[in-house]
Amino acid sequence: MPDRGRRSSRLSDALAGGTSRRGFLARTSGWLLATATGAAALQAGTDDAEAYHFCGHTYTTASCPHPTGIPRVDLHGYPLRHRDGKPVDDLGRPIDRHGHPLDEHGRRLTDPDGRPLPRAPRTRICQDGIPDRYGFATQVDGSWYRCCGGTVRRLMDCCGYRQTRINGDTALTGYCYGGRRVFCVMYFQTKVPC
Amino acid sequence: MSATAAILCVTAFAAGVTGAWSPCGFSVVETIGSRRAHLGARAIAASCATFALGALLGGAATFGGLASLGALAVGGSGAGALVAVVAILALTALGELLGVRVFPQVRRQVPEPWRRTLPLPLATGLYGVLLGFGFTTYVLTLAVWALAAIALASGSPATGLLIGLGFGAGRALPVALMAPRYATLGRRLEQKMAEQPSLLRRLRLVDGALLVAVAVAFLAGGSASAASRPQLVATNGTDPSRAGSLLAYERVDRSAAVLVDGDAIAQRPADDVAIGGRYVATRIGATLTVQDRTSGETVAQLDAPGATQFAVSDRWLVWRADRPGGGDRLLALPLPVAQAVPAAGIARVVAGASRREAIDRPALSGDHLAYAAATRGVSAIVIANLKTQHRRRVLATRGGQLSQPALDGGRLLYVRSSYCSQQLRAVSTGRLGSSRRLLRIGSNARRDEGHDPGYTTQGSEPSRCPRGTPGRTSTVLWSTALAGRVAYVTLLRPGAGAAAPSARIVRVRF
Repeated sequence: MPDRGRRSSRLSDALAGGTSRRGFLARTSGWLLATATGAAALQAGTDDAEAYHFCGHTYTTASCPHPTGIPRVDLHGYPLRHRDGKPVDDLGRPIDRHGHPLDEHGRRLTDPDGRPLPRAPRTRICQDGIPDRYGFATQVDGSWYRCCGGTVRRLMDCCGYRQTRINGDTALTGYCYGGRRVFCVMYFQTKVPC
Repeated sequence: MSATAAILCVTAFAAGVTGAWSPCGFSVVETIGSRRAHLGARAIAASCATFALGALLGGAATFGGLASLGALAVGGSGAGALVAVVAILALTALGELLGVRVFPQVRRQVPEPWRRTLPLPLATGLYGVLLGFGFTTYVLTLAVWALAAIALASGSPATGLLIGLGFGAGRALPVALMAPRYATLGRRLEQKMAEQPSLLRRLRLVDGALLVAVAVAFLAGGSASAASRPQLVATNGTDPSRAGSLLAYERVDRSAAVLVDGDAIAQRPADDVAIGGRYVATRIGATLTVQDRTSGETVAQLDAPGATQFAVSDRWLVWRADRPGGGDRLLALPLPVAQAVPAAGIARVVAGASRREAIDRPALSGDHLAYAAATRGVSAIVIANLKTQHRRRVLATRGGQLSQPALDGGRLLYVRSSYCSQQLRAVSTGRLGSSRRLLRIGSNARRDEGHDPGYTTQGSEPSRCPRGTPGRTSTVLWSTALAGRVAYVTLLRPGAGAAAPSARIVRVRF
């Protein structure tokens, strides 16, 4: 989630504090603030982004654990390789559509019998991986789109009912709803040019 | 226990015994021994026992802790650690042999008021802990520092515990020997220890010689750890199995099955081979044949199209085959088969019947079958009793892969893979919570930096592998075999396109 967006979110939280319809007012004031500051946010975005660890992500919440490093996922949350968007299994190996591992040239790896190497599990980074590793339920609530590398990128927050984020310090509200907070972040790269 | 582990344990024990010459060592013997007349033999025995327990705990805490710290800091023993440890061993051994003053020295005594203010067994228990720690009171031999370096560099908690328990036992023995008989034997020994410096000098010579032996053992093993190094068993070999003293495997190019018994090597034409119990099973084309190893009598022969991996025991033959609709399944045939019955007709599906799973090579031990099955969401190892048809998922993981099990009695060997590493692990089927790592190599994944080029690294931490993780490899930990405390594993370089696979088998003792 962009830095400015988060600031707007916190400000809108403050504006709505103490009301009985807090969630609605927070979102409404957030939208108003975002609209008001939108142009400035777009201009400031690229430069700000370089202070953080991958393009489009503009705050300090760390990546969700990912088999190859940078937390690129497909629309359903399954891991993709950041470099080329190829699907990877939980061991980080590129795989074909049947889940069998491939070499760097896209050829199936085979055992001494000539059979494909066995498939390894492939689980969703946020919905499956975080609950397994950290022991609480998480989901993707909201997201934010930015232009990265000539195409639109969707920045996704992995949200849970946790006061601390994956970094170990206080979690932010970000684009999480229903009392959930951002535990870690990931992204989906669209094919939409920008 | 390997020879290196035994030498290390004896060295730690000797270092502990040498500590009896410290002010604390003398004080504890006197504290317990001189109270016999007042407290009675039972209280003295209890005090000696608590002292021994404390010393063992203290030793385990110090050296086990250092080893755990080493695992975090350096991630286990490598070539650099070996060089450093051997250098330290050489220096300290020289110091011991020359009898130089111990440096650095810890000029501290255990708290004297404890023996007056606390019940004696409690006080001696606490004294034991402090003496077991090794570095909270006077150090009488340079071997203690060398052992600390070994524990740290090994990065192996098992090695650290071995040293700690040996050291604790060494500290406890003189007290247990002298204190209960303080009026007689105890005083005599105390007098000799106090008045004959040559005794300490000789003991330090022993310490020095043992340190030299440890260094030689490390150099011979190529590692600053008591853990065994893998030894090459066969090049161009895969799919090992073992029964008694016989090891079987097949050539990677399927040119022959190889049977090795000590120095005797026999080859027979077969695409695949497995041994277990008194049988040897081979596959040629689609025909599986089971023969008695000694008489050569054929006990089963059947057509098993698509069977590529199989296992045999005294009572069963199990093989993997393609499952209609996708995935794999395992079929089992009870042995021996009456000649009049068509073997294929009485085989039954024992895994992969109801859902699509990737199942790899089965393993048998008596009636027990072990296999690894992976679905899209979870990877698990299952042990099934083929006689009772009771099955149990013994290990499972999401976010990784469990594969290639081997079973021998109550021990299970398997491969655990993640995006950081591949590990060969062994575990008792009765205590599944405490598995032991026998071998670790890097993962097959090509990983990125966790952050975009030109961006900060902050935030990329959760996806990083722990420090000391081996680098990426194209080798896959493949099929395994287990015989007692000897583990075999195939190191496979998979084929791809026109490139043929290659494999070799290594052995790890544990």
